[in-house]
Amino acid sequence: MLRRGKLEIIRDILKILQDNPRIKPTPLLRKSGISSSRFKCYYNELIVKGFIKEIKVKERKNIKLTDKGFRFLEKYKSIADFIDEFEL
Amino acid sequence: MLFEGGQGLGKILKAGLPAEFIYSFAIIVCSLMIYFGTKEIYQLSSHKGIKYFRQAFLFFAFAYFFRSFLKVIIIYFNFHGIIQICPRFIIGSVLLFLFLYFGSMAVFYLLYSVLWKKLSHYTLYLFHLIAFMIAIFSVLLDNPLVYLGVNIILFVFILISVYFLYKESKGKGKKKLNLCTIYFLLLFFWLLNIIDILIPSILQSFQIFIYIISLGIFLLILYKVLKKVGS
Repeated sequence: MLRRGKLEIIRDILKILQDNPRIKPTPLLRKSGISSSRFKCYYNELIVKGFIKEIKVKERKNIKLTDKGFRFLEKYKSIADFIDEFEL
Repeated sequence: MLFEGGQGLGKILKAGLPAEFIYSFAIIVCSLMIYFGTKEIYQLSSHKGIKYFRQAFLFFAFAYFFRSFLKVIIIYFNFHGIIQICPRFIIGSVLLFLFLYFGSMAVFYLLYSVLWKKLSHYTLYLFHLIAFMIAIFSVLLDNPLVYLGVNIILFVFILISVYFLYKESKGKGKKKLNLCTIYFLLLFFWLLNIIDILIPSILQSFQIFIYIISLGIFLLILYKVLKKVGS
């Protein structure tokens, strides 16, 4: 299996969130298929960048995809194609 | 007779002030469209390759902006090259410095956008230093041949880099060859643009051809960018 790049991992995490709108951090970690330390890094980065946000529902932490996160998923193919086209 | 005919053709192919303006304006617009057209994908991805690629075209836009001013001075005062401008006008020296600095950095950024994974971040500082040295020495030494020599060395260095890049990604098919060819042509015609500023008499007869092909290369890159970005 090929090692995923950073953008692919971000895409995969956001895709999981898109498919599972009320997912909690632990199942998200499990489904993302990366180590917990790497997941923490990605998770924090996604929050800082505004792709995801945490919401509290009945004292429980849920993760939600933001509009920017949806936009990333929409644009992912263009970004990947662009990087490939110009060897970036 | 034939020589006279050649001179006549030369006059036709020599660009005047309106052609210079149109050419510079078109290249600046293309470069800025590439820069702003890739803004969203950069903001979403924060990809370093995209960042340096965008910066290359922003710097090309600046370089062509300052180039157009130099061209106006050369044409307006009927000079035979930059060597006649610098001693007379401080503004000429400043414009030449900015043109050479931004132009060299544009080329370096384009190269770095492809090689950033293999090079250290400090290489970028080195590139800035080299571009600064090229620009400052060219202005201080006041000899276009020195700058021309430096640029030819730079061009050969970039050519070798592009060749190795192509060799490394050879297995990936025809697309890589196309990209290497486009970058090679872009850099080659950038060199011709520099010669056109420093020693205009050399390329006077081919000016329009150089402008058309240079613009064609920028338009081709813009087309490829817009096709991929989809905006």
